[in-house]
Amino acid sequence: MSGLEEFKEELETCFGTSCGFCERGCPVYQTMKVKTLCMKGRNRTMLGLLQGKFEITPAVVQAAFECTLCGNCDRWCSLKNTEHTRAFREYLLKHGVEPMKEHSSILLSIKNYGNPWFQPRSARNRWARGLGLPKAAPGQQDVLFFAGCTSAVTKQLNRGLVASAKLLQKAGVRFAIMGQDEPCCGSTLLRVGQTDAFQELSAENIKKFEALGIKKVVTACPGCYTTLKKTLEESGSTIKVEHVSQEIAGLVKQGKLKLKRSSERMTYHDPCHLGRLGGVFDEPRDIVKAVANLVEMPNNRYESRCCGAGAGLQSAFPKLSRDLASKRVAEAKATGATTIVTSCPFCETQLRTVPGIKVMDLLELLMDATEAAEKTNGQQNAKSG
Amino acid sequence: MTSLHNESVLPPACASRALDSISVSLLYTHSAHNHADMSYTEELVAALGKEKVLLDPSELFVYGADWSPRTPDEFVPPDVVVLPRTTRDIQRIVKIAYMHEVPVTAGGGLTGMLGGAVPIYGGIYVDTTTMNSIVEVDQRNQTVRVQAGATLQEVNDAVHPYDLWLPHQPESKWVSTVGAAIACDNDSTFGVRYGKILNCLLSAEIVTGTGEILELGHRKAHFTSSGYKLKDLLAGSEGTLGIITEATLKLEPISASRKVDMLVFPRMGAAVDYLSRLLKAGLCLEAAHINCKRRLKFYTHSYKLKYGRDPEIPVWAEALLAIAFAGDPEVVDTQRAYALKLAKDFEAQLVEEREIVEAWWSSKYTLDFEPFKQKWPDSQKQKKFGAADPGVPVGRLEEFYHKFIETAEKKNLEIIGMNAYLEHPNSIGFSLSCAVFVDYRNPDEVKRFREFHDELSKLAVAFEGTMSTFMSDTYQKAPYLEVEHGASLKYMREVKRIFDPKGILNPGKKFPRGANKK
Repeated sequence: MSGLEEFKEELETCFGTSCGFCERGCPVYQTMKVKTLCMKGRNRTMLGLLQGKFEITPAVVQAAFECTLCGNCDRWCSLKNTEHTRAFREYLLKHGVEPMKEHSSILLSIKNYGNPWFQPRSARNRWARGLGLPKAAPGQQDVLFFAGCTSAVTKQLNRGLVASAKLLQKAGVRFAIMGQDEPCCGSTLLRVGQTDAFQELSAENIKKFEALGIKKVVTACPGCYTTLKKTLEESGSTIKVEHVSQEIAGLVKQGKLKLKRSSERMTYHDPCHLGRLGGVFDEPRDIVKAVANLVEMPNNRYESRCCGAGAGLQSAFPKLSRDLASKRVAEAKATGATTIVTSCPFCETQLRTVPGIKVMDLLELLMDATEAAEKTNGQQNAKSG
Repeated sequence: MTSLHNESVLPPACASRALDSISVSLLYTHSAHNHADMSYTEELVAALGKEKVLLDPSELFVYGADWSPRTPDEFVPPDVVVLPRTTRDIQRIVKIAYMHEVPVTAGGGLTGMLGGAVPIYGGIYVDTTTMNSIVEVDQRNQTVRVQAGATLQEVNDAVHPYDLWLPHQPESKWVSTVGAAIACDNDSTFGVRYGKILNCLLSAEIVTGTGEILELGHRKAHFTSSGYKLKDLLAGSEGTLGIITEATLKLEPISASRKVDMLVFPRMGAAVDYLSRLLKAGLCLEAAHINCKRRLKFYTHSYKLKYGRDPEIPVWAEALLAIAFAGDPEVVDTQRAYALKLAKDFEAQLVEEREIVEAWWSSKYTLDFEPFKQKWPDSQKQKKFGAADPGVPVGRLEEFYHKFIETAEKKNLEIIGMNAYLEHPNSIGFSLSCAVFVDYRNPDEVKRFREFHDELSKLAVAFEGTMSTFMSDTYQKAPYLEVEHGASLKYMREVKRIFDPKGILNPGKKFPRGANKK
């Protein structure tokens, strides 16, 4: 993982270019209108710091952390901007900056509980109760369903996990779960600049996965998806990583699920980690199109706007985070959609904070359509019987 | 610290900063007796609120540079950055600056290529991008009223639902603001049909150097014969007469279709003759750009990414002409067919490989680069883009092109090439971009670039042309503006003095600092 100094050439390229194409899609800059908070400005701040033009000040720390790492700037550039920002955070922490107090508590929770939500490890078992899902054991399964901490320990998000597991079963995927032994993927650590802790955790995670003898990890959370994918690929592991929507979309396309389709207008919000950073755009849309009338927001796919929850912004800058969510919801409402469908627990929770539109998990939507079809089918059978 | 500029156009940064610090501190001392012991920065905070005033050195560093090749030693951040939201905010800022005689430089996207909005004497930097509201879209009269910090793209996003557009379209449109486009008088892809920003500008609100708010122009009328056309003074004024705060712009209906083609010619002069013939024929071009063979490579980044090589054009071809027609499909097809028929008389050949044309057009207009592969950073990894922007008469384009190559080679600069944009409605009025790469970290190369720029600028006047067509004068041409304007320069100084008697607005641009003070 590159340190900030290794990006100096890129920072100088940005300084020399000054095109500012990153400004237009940056949700933070478009809300705050302070150039230190867009990537062009942030790159300059990093360069100035490395050149010794100024010391680390609260404004420098703000420039580093007031960003969701959503990658919209990268879409309009050929530089690795989100990597710069991650390295910037790491640099500051290694140069005596204390973690932001909101992040400190998250880090403490990850250390003690293996999740950032101060929930006991056993809370990860909750969602799977009664489903009879096998627990991962060495050599017993090829596929691991990685639930992720946020959906597992948050009651309102459990339904999406249950739907994912049931649909995987319908798809004939033989998988196991880790329950309370499921580790933290490290996404939060990585994104708030705790690189050493992240690398330590990742090394442990790789060992655990290899010990289980799995061939594939299927994640429910896009943050887990990009983090584990990067970790495993960089380690040279042959274990593949997929998001659950990728596993299930094939089933939908092949017509293997009976679905009750509605004409309801729904829009799909691309989670940054799954879409722009993960390159998964079509599969979630295939699922929505199979059950409802998909209408796109103007900013979609690579140009999708962040919900404002990511990279520690929600905890450290709650007002800004809410403003970003409001903007995204306003964009969704303007399409005439009744529902925002998404496939990320952070986006789902965040978008739900803004009233006026229904927010739904992608797999939960599909499961509901499946159950509705089964119910209708059952009623028809009963009538004909 | 060394002054790297020939004839000391750009002040040695630190030296000038030190002097300014002294003078500013003297002013503080002076003002302390009159303004309740408040420094100008304290007054700004009191007037605007602390959230609109940036003072941290790291924040100031972000606002001190644009795209112009300047060495790190020449980098002078402002002393304070202000983030106004209203015209009244700007009035307060200027009045405080006026009282304290502090430089005030207003900027937009900071994409200027010759330092026009760079605060070379420090002082207050006014970031106008915080003022980006769309005040009124008048569909019936086809006008829009905007705050000056709205980007050209934001204006177009706002008027698109009304089937209207603002045709002033530089490549920097996502970032370039309305105020900056007026103050810099930058270029537009569609100049041959719609002209530049001045052709769209009906009226503008400014805050003068004394803090007075003025509306210049003729409301929603497209032209006037009344009074002096003070509004026109704003185009290319570089914020030296006033800070533009709002503008009323004329919009155009969106055409139903557009077709873009590229033709190659054995000589630049043949492309000019062909364009002349198209206009004589009565065709209505929407865009026309002549690129030299070298310059094409700079505009076909996406082609190179796709095929791993530069586009191939015939060995004999020296010039490439890109033309666009827009309108109803039948009209476009008819005009295009007629234009291509005429091409045969000018030794021209149509570029059949559409990917070359599309790569050029995405670079020039649509900006629809592949995700994570935008051209600008890639094209400037080692060196920065630097250009001279002269204009020459129609018949001397080819001759000037050879002078450009000769001058760049003499100064040992890596040549990017020349692009001649037609920027005047329905006529062959060239805006030339004579571009080279500059290693801004190499003081000697920056010095050679400036000599190159100055030589070409002066040569353009000798060619009966003009020194500047899209970057304005900035600090670069300030020392020798008399070459272009002769005795009329003193009238310009008088104009400047009327609008900005203390010379606080963007000092050092157009005229050396202090040249206009009483």
